[in-house]
Amino acid sequence: MSDSREKDDVKRLVRADNHIQKVVAEYGLDCFPQEFDVIPAQKMLEIMSYNLPVNYSHWSFGRDYEKQRTQYEYSGGIPYEVVLNSNPSRAFLMKTNPYPIQVLVMAHVYGHNDFMKNNIYFGRTRRDMLTSASEAAGRLRKYEEDYGIDEVERLIDAAQAIQMHIEADLFQESAIQPESPDPKKRIPRVGSPFGDLFDFDGQLTSKSFEEKREEARKAKKKIPAEPDADMMGFIMRHAPRGFEEWELDVLSVVRDQSIYFMPQRKTKVMNEGWASFWHMRIMSRLFQDGFLSPEEHGYYNLYNARVLASNPFGLNPYLLGIKTFLNIEKRYNAGQFGPEWERSESPDKWNIDLNVGKGMEKIFEVRRTHMDWFFLDEFMNRQVVEESELYIFGSKQQGNVEEFTVEETNWSTIKDLVVRSFAHSGVPLIKVTDGDYGGKRELYLRHFYDGLTLEEEYARQTLRHVFSLWDRPVHLETVEVEGNSETRIQLTYDGKGFSKINLGTYVQE
Amino acid sequence: MTVNQVDWDFSKRGQEDVARHQKKIKDSIRENIADVISEESIISRKKGQTVKIPIRGIKSYQFIYGKRKGGEGGGGYGLGHGKKDKGDVIGRRPAPNGEGDGPGKGGKPADAAGEDYMETEVDIEELIQMMMDDLQLPDLRKKEIAETVVPSGWSFEDVEKHGLKPNLDKKRSFKNAIKRAADSVSRLAEKTGRPMEMCQKALNKFKGDYQKALELLQKEDPGAELEDQEDKLKPFIQHGDLRYRVPKENVESHSNAVILAMMDVSGSMSTTKKYLARSFFFWMVEFLKHKYRNVEIRFIAHTSEAKLVDEDEFFHKGESGGTICASAYDLACQLVDTDYPPSKWNIYAFHFSDGEDWDPAKTMLSVKRLMEKSPNMVGYGEIRTEVAYGQQLMRNFEESFSLERYTSYRDSDFEYYLAQRAELPLAGVILKNKGHVYPALKVFFSKEKRI
Repeated sequence: MSDSREKDDVKRLVRADNHIQKVVAEYGLDCFPQEFDVIPAQKMLEIMSYNLPVNYSHWSFGRDYEKQRTQYEYSGGIPYEVVLNSNPSRAFLMKTNPYPIQVLVMAHVYGHNDFMKNNIYFGRTRRDMLTSASEAAGRLRKYEEDYGIDEVERLIDAAQAIQMHIEADLFQESAIQPESPDPKKRIPRVGSPFGDLFDFDGQLTSKSFEEKREEARKAKKKIPAEPDADMMGFIMRHAPRGFEEWELDVLSVVRDQSIYFMPQRKTKVMNEGWASFWHMRIMSRLFQDGFLSPEEHGYYNLYNARVLASNPFGLNPYLLGIKTFLNIEKRYNAGQFGPEWERSESPDKWNIDLNVGKGMEKIFEVRRTHMDWFFLDEFMNRQVVEESELYIFGSKQQGNVEEFTVEETNWSTIKDLVVRSFAHSGVPLIKVTDGDYGGKRELYLRHFYDGLTLEEEYARQTLRHVFSLWDRPVHLETVEVEGNSETRIQLTYDGKGFSKINLGTYVQE
Repeated sequence: MTVNQVDWDFSKRGQEDVARHQKKIKDSIRENIADVISEESIISRKKGQTVKIPIRGIKSYQFIYGKRKGGEGGGGYGLGHGKKDKGDVIGRRPAPNGEGDGPGKGGKPADAAGEDYMETEVDIEELIQMMMDDLQLPDLRKKEIAETVVPSGWSFEDVEKHGLKPNLDKKRSFKNAIKRAADSVSRLAEKTGRPMEMCQKALNKFKGDYQKALELLQKEDPGAELEDQEDKLKPFIQHGDLRYRVPKENVESHSNAVILAMMDVSGSMSTTKKYLARSFFFWMVEFLKHKYRNVEIRFIAHTSEAKLVDEDEFFHKGESGGTICASAYDLACQLVDTDYPPSKWNIYAFHFSDGEDWDPAKTMLSVKRLMEKSPNMVGYGEIRTEVAYGQQLMRNFEESFSLERYTSYRDSDFEYYLAQRAELPLAGVILKNKGHVYPALKVFFSKEKRI
């Protein structure tokens, strides 16, 4: 492509952007200033696999990059979009995409921008992650030189294995503080209001732990005093082996990024639903305004259908999100809400139309106050489940063929499963209940089972990673199900092998 | 300004991490070689040395959800979209662990639906190297060709000063005599100053005796005594002139191996069963190619009768009829006699069946006959992919040849039988699934006796 051609393309995108901005303002979306970078496909795939434009080096990013590239080569172009949670908001457009797709992505991005500016879970997130990640990449490269690539890799492997098990109060500035140059100062403070039995004072010597332990033993209290969901933080503070400064730095880098992406993880369905809801409105307006030709609009429609396509083997957050927002808008416009309406068992309640016109107001409110867990729990009703044609499937072995069969189409069973799997950001709730198990400083983790078990092979392999950090035997209490029977078990990894103890039938607390 | 055309400075990072992941995949192939080598895409590859095989990407392990309470099947679950009713089948794929895995494995179907797999290109040679490492066969790795030496008659190339009369090399001895005579004449002429002719005559007079000729020539007038002598050079052969030919046995070196692939092709041998045999033979040929310059494979298909067939027929065509395994061994013996003399060929005979045989006693006799033809290796593989099986020919092998039953250290489900007498090159394996192909190869090729 010649330079002048590229300039023309950019000019055209700027014109589209200006028009979209006008429409966005009219619709009442409230956005950060928006910047678009037009980048080559390869860079786009790289950002998508590394989560950020610049990041530290790890084989898992290489794997994801290769997957993305394969997908890109076979799919013949997907309207890829990446928006960074920053102010000004920064988004990327793939150079090779045709014009109508670029416009679609731009419209979609403004939806995300508004969401990230206004949703309360994003309120306190760090907006300086780009610089921070790029600096971290440099430091980790240095550690690879000093301590060996395998050593650093093992630590990142372990850190990534438990990176979802963090707790940070997203409404508290201190939880998301910018990093300190001193890695010791970056050890997470006690996040929960109950806290540890003792305050962490930056001393990593086992002596201080021994003292605390003695105190705890005398007081017949456990460490932690209350089960701690911040497994990663607990391990960083209390691992009997202690960590070198560089090790703490690596763990912090992984942890900080995980905290940074926490709001996005908590709002995946809402965020994509919201952005899709708005890109559809904006694109229709652009067509009505004559800004897009019928051909361009047709092209857009084709790709829009792909974005919202029904995936037979997985939940499509774009589809579930937009269906839910559309349902809220429709019901609140018609007056289908309120305690009385909720209680009603009559099928006619879906046909009431009082024309109260509260739809827009309601969805703007919900986009501010909710995250997926509560959003789906509150608004995923029978209609949403049926309109998004959700089902639960399972697999069965038939001879030497594995068969995937629809097991459940009942809306409330489906809703129940969806809500449960979106609880706690979609991460099984596992807490540290004892950091001195058996008086031998072994680590005891407990899975707070809620009808869904842990995938056993994954649990075993993750326990090995936990062991590599803790360096003493690690235990995991969880529940196994077979049909409807539930059994409590304790899985232990001691560095050499696994053992499993049956703790009896599970009784709900 | 809100839209920027950015020219990114590409780092090599992406490619480095891709390479790092690739290395991990190679390590994983090495660890899971038993599963990898029985991949259909390898065995049925048409051309070329590289194949694409589906490999699970190296996973990032975290605590994730597994089963749901009340779930059917294995209890694993996934969510999907579409207009469907309860019981509708939304997809099928080959079972992840092959046959005989039973229902209710209950992995994670959402994850199992295929996205986890990536196609990775693998070089067959690379796979062989990995196996060689694992089998501890460094000599095969270096491609040291095994040679067989066969005498091809006699020849005389060297000569010696001593030997037997019949081997006397007259021509060479005569030449030596002439040479020595000419030499003596020059030396006499030099020493005595007499003309060459006279020296020659002196030598002739004393039948080549140098000392006597010298004494005469040193007298005042030797000419008178030499008048009756010819002045022509007359060689007189002396003991030192004699040369004897050394007889040498000539040899030819051969590097030939033949695989006599025997298989029951009667109805009870299903495609899956044949596939296991096919996979085994594929790698066997590849291995032997590293050891011998010339590797041939002959296919003997049998029901109640045996016949030579081509590869395609061997693996893909079934026939009706009974099962008499002896027929295959008899045909193998016949082939050895006519085409593959053990003096020139390394013989590897392998027989696969599902254990059925109408006349096991006769079969054992035929196996014994084949064993007498000094083959390098005779192997019997019994394929038991079904849980319930009837007759087991392996039992007969066990009794007739005093084989000892073992199970593999790594996979206690894999059984093999070794001869108690180490010099008896006979072993048996039982193949229950794809994963048993590799340990079976190990039984026959590993340096380690027990696997």
